[in-house]
Amino acid sequence: MEVLLQVLIGGVLLGGLYALVAFGLSLIYGVVRILNFAHGTLLAVCGVAASLAFSAWQMHPALIAAMLAPLLFAFAWAYYHLLLRPLAARNHFEGTVGTVLVTVGTLLILSDLTAKAAGSTQRNIPLRLPALEFGEIVVSSTQLLILGGIVVLTIVMHVLLKHTWFGRAIRAVTQDGVGAQICGVRSVHMKALTFAFGSATVAVAAVLYVLSFPVDPYMGFGLTVKAFTIIVVGGVGNLPGALLAGVFLGVAEGLTGLYWKPEWAPALSVIAMLLILVVWPKGLGRSA
Amino acid sequence: MKALNRLPPMLGFGLVAALAALPFSGNAYLTTFAFSVLIAYILGQSWDWVAGEMGYVNLGHYAFYGIGAYAFAIVLVGGSPFWLAFVAALGVTAIAARLLAVPLFRLHGDYFAFASLALLPLLEVLAYNLTPITRGADGIVLPVAQVLQPAYLIALAVCVLTFAVTLRIHGARFGYALKSIRNDEQVAETVGVRIAPVKRRVLILSSLFGAAAGALQAWQMSYIDPATVFGLNVALAPIAMVLFAGSGLRYGPLVGVLLLASMQQWLLVSVKGFQATLYGATLLLIGRFMPGGFLRAKWVRRVPGLAEFGREHHEHAMTAGVQAPAKAGGELPLKTLPVDGARPLIELQGVRMQFGGNVAVNDVTLSIRAGEIVGLIGPNGSGKTTLFNCISRVYTPTAGRVLFDGQDLAELGRDGIARLGVGRTYQIPRPFSDLTVQENIAIPLMFGAKPLSPRDALREARAFVDYAELGPRLYDRADALSVQEKKALEFARALACRPRLLLVDEVASGLTPAEVKRFVEHIRHVRDRYGITVIWVEHIFSALEQVVDRVIALEQGVLIADGPLDAVVRNERVLATYLGAAAAATQPSAQPMLIQGVA
Amino acid sequence: MRTIAIAVAAASTLLASLPAAAKLNSCDGPVVFGTTLSETGPFSTLADRWRKLTEVFAEEINKSGGIAVKACNKKLPLQFVIYDDQSVPATAVQLYEKMATVDKVDFFVGPDWSSIGGPVPPIADKYQIPMVMANVATPALYDRGLRYTWGTPFPVVPNWSTRYFDMLTKVNPKPQSIYFITHDNPVMKGITASWSKKAEAQGLKVLGNETFSPELKDFTALIAKVRAAKADVIYISSYDNASVPLVQQMRQLKVRAMDVHHTMLTGALARQVGADIEGMTGELSWYPGVKGAYSELVETVMQRSNVTMFDYIWTLGRLTSYLAMVQGIEKAGVVDREKVREALFKATIRSPAGDVTFDERGFPNTGAFTVQMQNGKVNVVWPPEVATGRLAWPSPSWQQ
Repeated sequence: MEVLLQVLIGGVLLGGLYALVAFGLSLIYGVVRILNFAHGTLLAVCGVAASLAFSAWQMHPALIAAMLAPLLFAFAWAYYHLLLRPLAARNHFEGTVGTVLVTVGTLLILSDLTAKAAGSTQRNIPLRLPALEFGEIVVSSTQLLILGGIVVLTIVMHVLLKHTWFGRAIRAVTQDGVGAQICGVRSVHMKALTFAFGSATVAVAAVLYVLSFPVDPYMGFGLTVKAFTIIVVGGVGNLPGALLAGVFLGVAEGLTGLYWKPEWAPALSVIAMLLILVVWPKGLGRSA
Repeated sequence: MKALNRLPPMLGFGLVAALAALPFSGNAYLTTFAFSVLIAYILGQSWDWVAGEMGYVNLGHYAFYGIGAYAFAIVLVGGSPFWLAFVAALGVTAIAARLLAVPLFRLHGDYFAFASLALLPLLEVLAYNLTPITRGADGIVLPVAQVLQPAYLIALAVCVLTFAVTLRIHGARFGYALKSIRNDEQVAETVGVRIAPVKRRVLILSSLFGAAAGALQAWQMSYIDPATVFGLNVALAPIAMVLFAGSGLRYGPLVGVLLLASMQQWLLVSVKGFQATLYGATLLLIGRFMPGGFLRAKWVRRVPGLAEFGREHHEHAMTAGVQAPAKAGGELPLKTLPVDGARPLIELQGVRMQFGGNVAVNDVTLSIRAGEIVGLIGPNGSGKTTLFNCISRVYTPTAGRVLFDGQDLAELGRDGIARLGVGRTYQIPRPFSDLTVQENIAIPLMFGAKPLSPRDALREARAFVDYAELGPRLYDRADALSVQEKKALEFARALACRPRLLLVDEVASGLTPAEVKRFVEHIRHVRDRYGITVIWVEHIFSALEQVVDRVIALEQGVLIADGPLDAVVRNERVLATYLGAAAAATQPSAQPMLIQGVA
Repeated sequence: MRTIAIAVAAASTLLASLPAAAKLNSCDGPVVFGTTLSETGPFSTLADRWRKLTEVFAEEINKSGGIAVKACNKKLPLQFVIYDDQSVPATAVQLYEKMATVDKVDFFVGPDWSSIGGPVPPIADKYQIPMVMANVATPALYDRGLRYTWGTPFPVVPNWSTRYFDMLTKVNPKPQSIYFITHDNPVMKGITASWSKKAEAQGLKVLGNETFSPELKDFTALIAKVRAAKADVIYISSYDNASVPLVQQMRQLKVRAMDVHHTMLTGALARQVGADIEGMTGELSWYPGVKGAYSELVETVMQRSNVTMFDYIWTLGRLTSYLAMVQGIEKAGVVDREKVREALFKATIRSPAGDVTFDERGFPNTGAFTVQMQNGKVNVVWPPEVATGRLAWPSPSWQQ
């Protein structure tokens, strides 16, 4: 019984981490409809930077996150204006192809430059907070922190999108850019802002990630695929849905490991995604 | 200029000859490199049939490569000869593609892309874990045999076959089915294309060639493991190469693979460090500045030799003889339909269409006899277009029946309904944008109840094009037309469905009075000459009153009036909800205008 | 047609851009070793700074003149041709073909990793160029009847934990049971298969074996099973990087044992798990304390290229492949591929970690020393003759 509980808790916490990885993508793809293949690589690269900052200057992770986030915001803002915005003006086919090429090119460049600059060795932030114990059950404080963080972030973003003018404006821009402009929304500005904000959250996610698990410059694409899986299962554009999907998958993987074999656990998210899409071809839930 | 048109085929033959000679030239390095280029071409081109031709971006195409490689290796290691293992690889992969088509084609657009991409990590885990079959992480060790030459030559043959298939698809009905799906899947169905079998077939076809590439490369490398064949780090490479030059173009994959593979190799051997950065930067710049692929860029069109590679190929089926002057009322190759008074042509019985809480069509019952021209009026949002969509099965009615010539349409799919004889236009024109006017009309002719070959369909399309007075625009892409021309194209395309019932949705708005008059003539003509029944949604009364036998009025999904025009326009409810009090006031006289047609 | 032939010829000259190699059987020019490194791509995490390592190796060897070739009565300098295989086997194959036919290297050293060590050796056989592979440990890859291939993985699976299990027979209190946790990787699975048998033969009851995928992040379920078994020894057969979350979570979930053994206890692991690694035992193929053949050379090379053996344990495999080829040439006495092949066949070569003997398949008998993490430092604890620290048994930090 305790084992089951431990596994369930582990699964929920892991799910929080998955939701964290998917969060920025959920925002960027779900709201602004930009297919960013470099998402995971960006996270991995930030993780490497965070790890270096920690080992070289012993900076507190919160400080590292606070430093990286605005840097990433600025970088993403410029990236959007220089590379992605002109593509949005093209027809649908060219827009999609262009975004794919640009983001794939970016992921290659980012991995390579990071490997050259920092070495391709695997890194993390080996800082561990004491675990919480409840009898036989042990709960990792780091992961609890992550779960708490992602829940707060999701709620905040959800409220922002649903109940503020800003959120409505972003959603309007996604559905009909020209119409939104006529209503006084600076569409391009909104999209750039959302893209930049989504990327800035990647910085925070990266710091939290490397507190739990190691990263290297080449693992990014695998993370991107995982993140896409989660946002599809949760419903594109549905931020709370992505959180629930992450938790659901974390628990499912844990149970697979307990009652069957751990080696099948990673396949689960993909199978879940395929099954869900077969039954609900537009994904679970409706778009924000 | 004509000589330059022959440049690609000339270069092509030269290329194949040079490639065939390469293994015997003693340069093993170039042979190995060329082999990898051949494999990349097979992968890239087979991917493009699904992506460039049909518009479905299958990011997991490499899965077929991997399944093919594994199937081949497993059978070969079991002691079978090469050809048996090769055939087994193709067979297993085709079955896998057929199975995967079921979940994958329930998806569209980006969802399809994600799901297909996620197949790769899934298959990698399967390869790791199904150890009794795949040897798991150990990989499969094939017997060492120096097979570079035979593998290369077979790969070359497969490449030539791949290109031949590309050409063949292009001019065939199958190719047009793909292109119509690419442009507008829903419209393709309503003009008679059976899209589900087409999608399955192209996926299976694409998987066969992907599997061939995997099998050949596994044979040559003599060792495979899960990470090598399902790894994400190589999965996007052939796709990037095709996109680089131009997906959907005849020479796109070929040029893209040649250039990028060579560039990659050059970077590998001549540049120390930062190869991936340079490669990535190239992709990024092309994506940013020439996202349709660089062959589609404007500057390419100006370079004499190069332009030919970037040309889109549209079939023309040149019709011999002088172009006949276009005139309204020209002959169409349509049979005159019998006017059968016994039974209504189309009957709606209590049809209801509900979207969640919104009832768009509310228990509508009506019946229309063959040969009638019926106007359908009502305020915006009254359900007129939804009614059309219920008939042509764009939506499936929540309740009620639609009977066409006594047959319940519930048994048929959209394409079946189209073939039965229902043609329609759309309120906002939906032509097949990247196909020519001629091809747009030819497609319904190819997929109708009496399907024509592409050649015949293209020829016959001219008559319809002339009828719609689009003769001068015959070879122009549909997206280059003005709105009025697109509407004419819609109409002509609907006629090319050889309809018994024509659903016309607000075609006259935006036309000048003279154009309206001509259009009215068309409607009258198709009924008088060919016996086509017409239901016409329109707001312009002066157009309706010239030609309709009766009028049906809808309001908020409810049928509120059904009768001759003059009666309906005086109907209280119609006046209150649609025409307005002012209309009542401006009624010129109580005398109705004489309306011809069936009483 | 002519134009095309010219273009092809031009392309081949463009792609060949290196100085001429030694003419075989002559005494002019350097001896050229061709190799590929996984400098980019997923395998590059294992091979950091190896290009520098290789170049420095050549420099250091050449400081004393190079490779002694008896037939020339002098030493010939060593030169490397190095390419990046980008962790892609097909790319490696092309590059070795290029090195054989265009760059015309004399001998091959490397590559590393089974994925690449599978497709590449047939090329050595095709051109009859002796090849000493480095870190290719899957035994099946040596069973293919290849005549020009050897390998120097350190250690090989059958010898991996010889010293450790020897140690287990001599410690007090004696462990009775063992539990294996295996990373889904051919080498690691091979180790578990091999050593679980030997453990049983030695009287240790194997209570279980759980395999985990490299992607696995949450080990709660797996650790639950391990805890329930209550084995005396927990044997983690895994790459260092893949096991980082495992070790961290084992600590968090308070796993207890007399000893937790890790087949790849490295500096990379230590850096990532911090204090969690304390008390764990592992294998190390060599360390600067062990004085063996070429020790000074290897120490200098590693120092100059800023690579530590504890961090990058594959390094010894790499360097030994170079040393094996050098010794093969010296033994043959002439820069001749056939003579070198004969010299290396079933040969015994010297390495900093002791003598290495190849069997008729080219498979070596390399071994490792048993180490233990003590107060943040790695100490060799077995065999006692070369130990740098005393074994702490049972492992203190895994007992409370």
